[in-house]
Amino acid sequence: MSAVVSQIREPLIQGGKTYHQITEDIVSPTERAPGLAWVVAFIISVSALAVYVFCVAWTIWVGIGSWNLNRTIGWGWDITNFVWWIGIGHAGTLISAILLLFRQKWRTGVNRAAEAMTIFAVMCAGQFPLIHMGRLWLGFFIFPYPNTRGPLWVNFNSPLLWDVFAISTYFTVSLLFWYTGLVPDFATVRDRAKGLRRKIYNFLSFGWTGAAKHWQRFEALSLVLAGLSTPLVLSVHTIVSFDFATSVIPGWHTTIFPPYFVAGAIFSGFAMVQTLMVITRKVLKLEQYVTLAHIESMNKVILVTGTIVGVAYLTELFIAWYSGYLYEQFAFANRVLGPYWWSYVGMMSCNVLSPQIFWWKKMRRSIFVTFVMSIFVNIGMWFERFVIIATTLARDYLPSSWSYYTPTWVEIGLFIGTLGLFFTLYLIFARTAPVVAVAEVKAILKSAGDQYTGPDAHAHEAAHKAKAH
Amino acid sequence: MNQFTFESRYRNVLIGFMALGLLCLGITFAIDDELHTRFWTNYLHNSVFFTGIAFMALFILAAFTTAWAGWHTLIKRIWEAYSLFLVPGLVLMLVVIAGVWGHFHHLYHWADAGEVAKDPILQGKSSFLNPTWYTLGTLIIVGIWILFAWKMRQLSVDEDVNGTPEFKHHHRLRIWAAAFLPIAGFSSAAIIWQWVMSVDAHWYSTLYAWYTGASWFVSAIALTILTIIFLKGQGYLENVTAEHLHDLGKYLFAFSIFWTYLWFSQFMLIWYANVGEETVYFFERRENYPVLFYGNLIINFIAPFFVLMRNDTKRKYGTMVFISIVVFFGHWWDFFQMIKPGARHTAMEALAHHGAHEGAGHAAETTGHALEFAMGFTIPGLLELGTMLGFLAFFLFVVFNRLSRASLVPKNDPYLQESLHHHVEIHGDEGH
Repeated sequence: MSAVVSQIREPLIQGGKTYHQITEDIVSPTERAPGLAWVVAFIISVSALAVYVFCVAWTIWVGIGSWNLNRTIGWGWDITNFVWWIGIGHAGTLISAILLLFRQKWRTGVNRAAEAMTIFAVMCAGQFPLIHMGRLWLGFFIFPYPNTRGPLWVNFNSPLLWDVFAISTYFTVSLLFWYTGLVPDFATVRDRAKGLRRKIYNFLSFGWTGAAKHWQRFEALSLVLAGLSTPLVLSVHTIVSFDFATSVIPGWHTTIFPPYFVAGAIFSGFAMVQTLMVITRKVLKLEQYVTLAHIESMNKVILVTGTIVGVAYLTELFIAWYSGYLYEQFAFANRVLGPYWWSYVGMMSCNVLSPQIFWWKKMRRSIFVTFVMSIFVNIGMWFERFVIIATTLARDYLPSSWSYYTPTWVEIGLFIGTLGLFFTLYLIFARTAPVVAVAEVKAILKSAGDQYTGPDAHAHEAAHKAKAH
Repeated sequence: MNQFTFESRYRNVLIGFMALGLLCLGITFAIDDELHTRFWTNYLHNSVFFTGIAFMALFILAAFTTAWAGWHTLIKRIWEAYSLFLVPGLVLMLVVIAGVWGHFHHLYHWADAGEVAKDPILQGKSSFLNPTWYTLGTLIIVGIWILFAWKMRQLSVDEDVNGTPEFKHHHRLRIWAAAFLPIAGFSSAAIIWQWVMSVDAHWYSTLYAWYTGASWFVSAIALTILTIIFLKGQGYLENVTAEHLHDLGKYLFAFSIFWTYLWFSQFMLIWYANVGEETVYFFERRENYPVLFYGNLIINFIAPFFVLMRNDTKRKYGTMVFISIVVFFGHWWDFFQMIKPGARHTAMEALAHHGAHEGAGHAAETTGHALEFAMGFTIPGLLELGTMLGFLAFFLFVVFNRLSRASLVPKNDPYLQESLHHHVEIHGDEGH
């Protein structure tokens, strides 16, 4: 990174921080007793998690019949939730790997929390294909290995199997990437701790001492993992899109799906990062590390990806008409005007229209608008998957088997339950690990701290004064 | 040297190549079939390809400005100059438009009223695929692109002289750049459907616009690398170093892979679902144009993937010249394979109708069998290469002309110092 920084760039670390202050500010929340807000949030999350456990038990005990799926609509809320969570699980690795390649320094303020969120979201996503099996104890059947069932092999031609590989690989690499970054920060926490706490963090940091050799290996590993993650980020949602696009179902079989799913995933991932960071920075008083400049940059990403998704929606509509293919034309007319028109309206207004508000700088830098918009996008992207999955299946080739689908309380409970799982994990994370990458923020202090860069930089003046004395 | 002079020796060489291009076009016209299919497909192919590069240069500028990129400041004048080729690009496309109205060519199946009357699928599309929309679409869309190119160039050049400490020009430039991005997203799709996808008038693919966009993007980056290395060889751009080249190399590498990703997505989904209306596109290419079909992947994926994988190759001028030429040619080849098979098919049907009194049903026969080898269709011939060089010379003539009108270094750009001190971090590269 060049040491020369244009004065037009806004500083990314505010408050004239020293290296010690950075450690103090970011690590100390893990050393205090949790505040009331955290305790209340934790109780709510764990309660939702309990709902999840109950609904999973119900599903397995009663069977998939406790969901409202039927012969026509074989995928409903389950796969909608699965794709929604997988999409959310995109921002972390995108920020760590792709923004690293593009040298976007603002990533350091949010990458740790985003990566954590990625891992938790992928864990939530993974639940749905498993419980959809109904017989959870046979879940290992998805792995291809020589077996005594025939041998009965998995279907290598099925994108659903490719999903198993894609997602488990993505999860593994994301977890390693996240944990690698945490190692030096855990050591920082350890160095300030005493007693058992010190032993635990020493174990978690693998006995990191900060020796040159450690940093050298750390850098090498980070580079390898970044290289692996970049294609992985694209591959995961690409393969999820194949679940639909390889079929011959009108509305699913369309070539734009892979890149359009990836753009949508980045879109929803950033929205969830905003939802979490807006709250986290306030509660943990990290406003000088996750600044308005960070929030503004993420809102720009949301605007860009929202518009890309908009281009894709309109492309689909247009080409459906252009194809001259009757079923394709019907599928899209049904999407917009059919019985599920409300979900299409929800999708369009939340994903394409409402993000356009971010053309105004004032809106991009408003915490309130950012938070509301992030919720809008989360809702909109859930609707998008519902539109694609349920509305398409509800009206297939045979009008005699047309159907209308509404979820049962079990399905709703499962969705709320995964939210509980997600937030429980996130809240534990926010208490036990530095939510901003301490070592990475320190690394950019001199090229992005407000005492060194930006229009009001004063470091050189201070240096002059020191010389004069 | 910050001021490029368009010396007469460059001028003469470029004029020479332009003459060669005209000569090749002339010969093609003379030895062509009665519909002059080879001539017109070559003309459309190169017009679309080079106009697209100009558009992509503008898109790159807009994207980089919006993303607050700083490293490219020293080379942004090159992209500004590229983007101004949109004006001659529009003129080139006007000739195709004139042909659609005057029926000089048979590039588009949908432009033939007699064919449309017999074809319910074309009738269904006729409110989009018709001469009026083709004309209006081209004029309006390329017109808007030209407006943005002109405005962004004007602001950038004016900043050299009238730049303020508050960077007013740059702030205005950001507004224009951001506004261009969604316009570019929607309009490039609409126009490529008309210009190229409608050559195969029955066929459709939602990914098509992004696929061609990626092809243009890689071509623009490859040509940029070549232009920079040429200018450096002539003593210009002394502050552009291996560091900048390295970043361009990364773009070339990454977007070659991205192009392949889109190629694969489009091909695989169509192959897997196996719907006849869609597979016909690839089937035709694989069976009758295997060199084009497989060559496309070898030149545009395998070559850049292996050459550009290592860090050090992106910093070597010789290697970068080599791979840029390969990839530039490769994406020209890609557009060749997008246009030629469909246009040839249309022409063969039309020719069969012309000679209907001699032997009806000839077209129906030929579509079922393997097509004969035809130079200029099955593979690009020497005439195609000459034509391409002619268009390239024309493109560079316009670019050099524009480059000579302003300083090569944008003096008051807020990111100039970042670009001057640009340094690419190479991880794990101890000892340097």
